[in-house]
Amino acid sequence: MSAPLLSVRDLSVTFRVRPGGSPPWARRKELQAVRGVGFDLAPAETLGIVGESGSGKSTLARSLIGTVPATGGRALWQGKDLLALDPGERRPLRRDMQMIFQDPLGALDPRMTAGEIIAEPLVTHVTDLSRREITSRVSALLERVGLLPEHINRYPHEFSGGQCQRIGIARALIVQPKLLICDEPVSALDVSVQAQIVNLLSDLQRDLDLSLIFISHDLGVVKHIADRILVFYLGRVMEFGVTRALVHDPRHPYTRALIAATPVPDPAVERGRPATGLEGELPSPLSPPSGCIFRTRCPVARPSCAGAIPTLDEHDDGRLVACPFV
Amino acid sequence: MTLLQVRELRVCFQTGDGTVDAVNGVDLAVSAGQAIAVVGESGSGKSQIMLAVMGLLARNGTASGSIKFDGTELLGLDERAFNRIRARAIAMVFQDPMTALNPYMKISHQMTEVLTLHKGMSYGAALGEAVRLLDAMEVPDARARITMYPHEFSGGMCQRVLIAMALLCRPRLLIADEPTTALDATVRGQIMRLLGNVKSTFDTAVILVTHDAGIVAGHCDEMVVLYGGQVMESGPVAETFVAPLHPYTRGLLDAVPRLDRDGERLRAIPGDPPGMNQLPGGCPFAARCPRADERCHHVRPPGVIHAPGRRVACHWPLGGAG
Repeated sequence: MSAPLLSVRDLSVTFRVRPGGSPPWARRKELQAVRGVGFDLAPAETLGIVGESGSGKSTLARSLIGTVPATGGRALWQGKDLLALDPGERRPLRRDMQMIFQDPLGALDPRMTAGEIIAEPLVTHVTDLSRREITSRVSALLERVGLLPEHINRYPHEFSGGQCQRIGIARALIVQPKLLICDEPVSALDVSVQAQIVNLLSDLQRDLDLSLIFISHDLGVVKHIADRILVFYLGRVMEFGVTRALVHDPRHPYTRALIAATPVPDPAVERGRPATGLEGELPSPLSPPSGCIFRTRCPVARPSCAGAIPTLDEHDDGRLVACPFV
Repeated sequence: MTLLQVRELRVCFQTGDGTVDAVNGVDLAVSAGQAIAVVGESGSGKSQIMLAVMGLLARNGTASGSIKFDGTELLGLDERAFNRIRARAIAMVFQDPMTALNPYMKISHQMTEVLTLHKGMSYGAALGEAVRLLDAMEVPDARARITMYPHEFSGGMCQRVLIAMALLCRPRLLIADEPTTALDATVRGQIMRLLGNVKSTFDTAVILVTHDAGIVAGHCDEMVVLYGGQVMESGPVAETFVAPLHPYTRGLLDAVPRLDRDGERLRAIPGDPPGMNQLPGGCPFAARCPRADERCHHVRPPGVIHAPGRRVACHWPLGGAG
């Protein structure tokens, strides 16, 4: 593998919050949203991050882009530690890292036309372009993401959800970033449109040699786009491996449960499957279980799981699994 | 025995931007003790059909056609008569469990209210019954937790409370409108299993409204596929999944990302769903359909019986004779 574009080491994000329902003078507690996360992202690679709501996957993305301050660890971008940079030093790097968001309409300014929205990052980051040059780049990209030239003067409310997401993608790509972070880009879309956007992202990734971090709660979607998958639970990595191997031979009990919980749209398969769902729900991140964070819901938990935090062990196929009993 | 019979249902809304035709002539039948799925994307009119059945349409909406429940026509029923049917005969569970409960009332009050109002039970008896139902919905430590407020419950627990609340008066029909969409994958399975038990334990017919074909496969007997406020196809789940008749059904099933199949690309349906205030004259799916011809754009295909128990509204149905 070539030199990584981004290498994240031991990244942690801690918030100080008051527990829900407590009075304003109550002491703030520490909430570790992300702890000890590490991965390498190669150029033109797609990394999938899967986890349930509250698992910290969006916080991880935001800490990389700099909208949430990381409280520990390093994120080396082509050798430079992003987390140690001050905002001024960081600014030129923002161009290389763009993000698309979950709510496609909410992410667009309702008072700007599609053309203005797409052009804005270009105006911000590349100041020496003529107006004609900007317009021609916007039109080219508009077509590339599957919109029509006449869409350039329309406002966000005139578009469907899928079209809004295409505008969001065009806005992110106009500055020719090296990395595109997609935070649940298709969860708000209908199934038939979701497939269009996933295919579009996957085409763009290939044609433009983009690196992608694709965050979703839906393992089925991630499986179709990611080269490697990081399985996240309450801010910690449970399993990390190559997509195909991870989906067909999950090792961590949580990954197994997640796969068992994904319904298969085939009555013959679905009715024959044993009910292996997880019991219970995500524990509160304010008072997480000791030891292995998953042990309270784990079907194979043992008393020793409450002791030390399991390390991320490397298996024979290069996979990392945070469970000593698999 | 047919419990709910919907015929030629139309729902339209008067809005500032003109009339929106949300439901355009939908037929639907549910037998006692049956679980049917109503599948459709956003804007397909699936929720509006259910709201019409419950008599809960927004003020600017009007329904026409016929909705018969157990022989009684529900359309045009006055509010008092409707209140006797709601909860006692038909109950509904909504998509967002966190906002469906009143944040200012304890769970115990919200649940007992149903019984004291509809059944005239005493508070003590109602509380006992409410705890029994929460137990049945596997809410741990129900007797203690019933005195809590909704914000003290997680999303999955709130949905259990709502299902329990819907079942308090032992309705004969339970409508679940996207009951698991707001929940996480591992919790979704738990709730679907509970809903599956409802059918057998409480002898209640269930209408599951969803956009998720995966859920339908495991939990329903019959399915109705909606698009543009019209029924595209209806029939038994097993047969519909194996050999869908309507090109839209085929496209919808193909578009679902599957863990059990390896394939590079997802099979998307090109284009976007139609806007409901500018529905085309012909088949609503024509603009996105690979089989559409001139006729499809101008003539709305009628729903015809294609095989026993299976109906399809298409000029060029899949699977031979059309």
